[in-house]
Amino acid sequence: MAEHKFAKEKLGDLVSGLSGYRVFAPTAIGDVVRFAEVTDPAQVTLDYVNSNVPPKELMFPETETLFRYRLGQDEIDAAVPSADDKRVILGIRPCDSQAYSIVERLYSWDFNDPYFLNRLGGTTLVGLACADPCANCFCPSVGGGPASEEYLDAIMYDLGDTYYLKTITDKGDEVAKALSGVLEAAGGGEKKAAEKQAGDALSKIQRSIDTAGIPEKLPSLYDHPFWEQFSDRCLGCGICTYLCPTCHCFDIQDECEAFDARRARMWDTCMFAEYSLHTSGHNPRPTRKERTRNRISHKYSYFPEKFEVIACVGCGRCINYCPVNIDILDILEKSKEAEAKEAKTA
Amino acid sequence: MVDSKKLQDKARETLVRDDVRRLIGWKRGTYGYEAAPAVIKDASDAEALIFDPTCVQNPASFLTLEEKLPVPRGAEPDTRKVAVMVKGCDSRAIVQHLLEKAYGRDDVIVLGIPCRGVIDRRKAQKLFGDVGVAVSAKIDKEKVAVDIGGEVKTVDRKDILMDKCLRCRYPNPLVSDFLLDEEVEKFADDDFADVVEFEKQAPADKWTHWDEQFGKCIRCYSCRNVCPMCYCVECVVTKLRPQWTRRSTDISENTAYHIQRAWHLAGRCIECMECQRVCPVDIPIMTLNRKLTRDVKELFDYEPGVDTEAQPLLASYNPQDPEEYIM
Amino acid sequence: MSEDAKNEEFEPNIVAFLCNWCSYAGADLAGTSRMHYLPNIKIIRVMCSGRVNPLFLVNALQQGADGVLISGCHPGDCHYLEGNYYARRRFMLMHKLLEHVGVDPGRVNMSWVSASEGAKFGDVVEEAVTKAKEAGPMDQFRRRRINW
Repeated sequence: MAEHKFAKEKLGDLVSGLSGYRVFAPTAIGDVVRFAEVTDPAQVTLDYVNSNVPPKELMFPETETLFRYRLGQDEIDAAVPSADDKRVILGIRPCDSQAYSIVERLYSWDFNDPYFLNRLGGTTLVGLACADPCANCFCPSVGGGPASEEYLDAIMYDLGDTYYLKTITDKGDEVAKALSGVLEAAGGGEKKAAEKQAGDALSKIQRSIDTAGIPEKLPSLYDHPFWEQFSDRCLGCGICTYLCPTCHCFDIQDECEAFDARRARMWDTCMFAEYSLHTSGHNPRPTRKERTRNRISHKYSYFPEKFEVIACVGCGRCINYCPVNIDILDILEKSKEAEAKEAKTA
Repeated sequence: MVDSKKLQDKARETLVRDDVRRLIGWKRGTYGYEAAPAVIKDASDAEALIFDPTCVQNPASFLTLEEKLPVPRGAEPDTRKVAVMVKGCDSRAIVQHLLEKAYGRDDVIVLGIPCRGVIDRRKAQKLFGDVGVAVSAKIDKEKVAVDIGGEVKTVDRKDILMDKCLRCRYPNPLVSDFLLDEEVEKFADDDFADVVEFEKQAPADKWTHWDEQFGKCIRCYSCRNVCPMCYCVECVVTKLRPQWTRRSTDISENTAYHIQRAWHLAGRCIECMECQRVCPVDIPIMTLNRKLTRDVKELFDYEPGVDTEAQPLLASYNPQDPEEYIM
Repeated sequence: MSEDAKNEEFEPNIVAFLCNWCSYAGADLAGTSRMHYLPNIKIIRVMCSGRVNPLFLVNALQQGADGVLISGCHPGDCHYLEGNYYARRRFMLMHKLLEHVGVDPGRVNMSWVSASEGAKFGDVVEEAVTKAKEAGPMDQFRRRRINW
């Protein structure tokens, strides 16, 4: 645990200084911000609210080869990433790194997924505290915060013309050591300014939900018609799922080119009708009502029941990008109202 | 501007009819510059309905999104009508649906709303930032007055409206059972300047552009799902037997997907621009659709979504069709 | 190595969809008459040019074809009366769409070759191959096993 600082204009040196690591940071294509591997420090943009696509794609790529094989031969070439591949994710928001810990619970539950776990194990998470949360952020309601240190190895604060960087774990200290040429010791002033920024950011968060009782009570609303006011306008697209840092479902497909082939997995979403479509043609979730109900119930009831944590980090992306304004906080509020009415009439 | 009370009254009057099952319109969203589509079954919910420049979504999409489940044994299918509120551009989707026989004219009740334009949330965000309150707006011939939490800001139409509105040729619904406001004059003619501009580039430069754009695609299929004209029960892009497009998200499959979709919209795209609006990674999808819209007009003198008696473009032919590129 | 030398070594793969009654017969005539036509062409026989789904072209380009050719009966002579008219409309638009995506227009070719036009078939193939050579190997959205 140590406190450092560096001048903003030295960000490029910082990125270059991480020579023992592969560096991943937010990059911009037009107005779209996305995490990607950076080789040139000029690609990095830390002046952003949050990325469109969450950095879950760095741990769990949208398309990932599981193994390669050649038709007619018995051997397979497993494409498991090495746990020794040292990576740094620079500038990740606390909510997105909290999401890794949630997905990790599933990926180390009945089977240790080496693809995800090796990547996570080899990665140092250097977070960027939020100074200006977006209008739909609600991380404090789900166990997070704009400057939450719980799931990070180090955290940076943008203080205008300097960054204050505080290391939290051994991994963070190792990175700081590699950057000893760029980092200076921070004084009390930076620490105070960082604390103030964290407090201000917390007070800027406008939206919240009291999740007490929701995981226990949602299943009782299985047949309730309140779901329809949301599912009727759902498009059944994949935006909420693909942009959610905690959503983690995938499909597995074999792809073949002449004699070379691979088995790959790619993101899938329970909002697609095909997700639950059986080979017989029967679909247990035939309409968007069943699928919307399932997704919300999974995140706020089935997952917490199994893993003791709500599968949501309050990043607000599903609210910001849903084209038809299906707002998860609105759904949860309405579920509470519906439940309260049921309890009264019972 | 539409009178809210008149709109809600008409909606109520429609919903209490025995032969109407639901009504699709818009209601205030929970935040931001866009309203939310509203699907109402009870007349008492009609008081939530609104119409203003935040009503960007195309309610006609929901006519074809609704799943048709098998009817349980002994039960009769519900043949009641669906009422839908539409702007001018949205009504073209209904005309195209009728032309393609997606449903019959008697299956819908169209409440038409002449429209002066809708807000582009991306432009609004650049002007006024990220907002947590639900915005409302008023529009007249030149200006849009945006009410953000009580504070009203007025801007020129061209600075905040969607590009499609600035070249809108059909502000008045082309099919309707009731008109909820007075008709407005057409705003402009469309010279397809954007298409012409893009065509000037060399093929290599065009590809560089698309390589970057399609490289961003995450295949969420939001563009397809929101499109009123994409209503196949089994879509070619997700078909598995045979599989046309793999599910992996590399440049080859992403490009194939976008070409497939643009191709299936040839002569059918009614330019509501919803596809481009919903894309979470800002892919300029309409560039492809606009190119085909222009070419269809020039080559075959055909415009989709205007005449319910017209033949679908690719289900018809003219022995004198152009063939200048054929050897 | 100069551009010309590179191109000279490059032999494009052209996938051709030929309608059974006219174009395939025309190609067959070229063969039986011992007319030489370039070997770059890989023929797929379909019953009618109207059967060809324009997405076949996209799939062919994805699988590494450097060019495609669709050939049918002359307008008015379609064995199924109208198939080639529909094909004409479709390929006009697909040609335009692919051009807008940045695919060299020389890769997408269409022709009318009747059963007696064996020589014309040879010419059509030559033109398709020349254009594909100028365009170079198809690399744009070819399946390239990225990150395999």
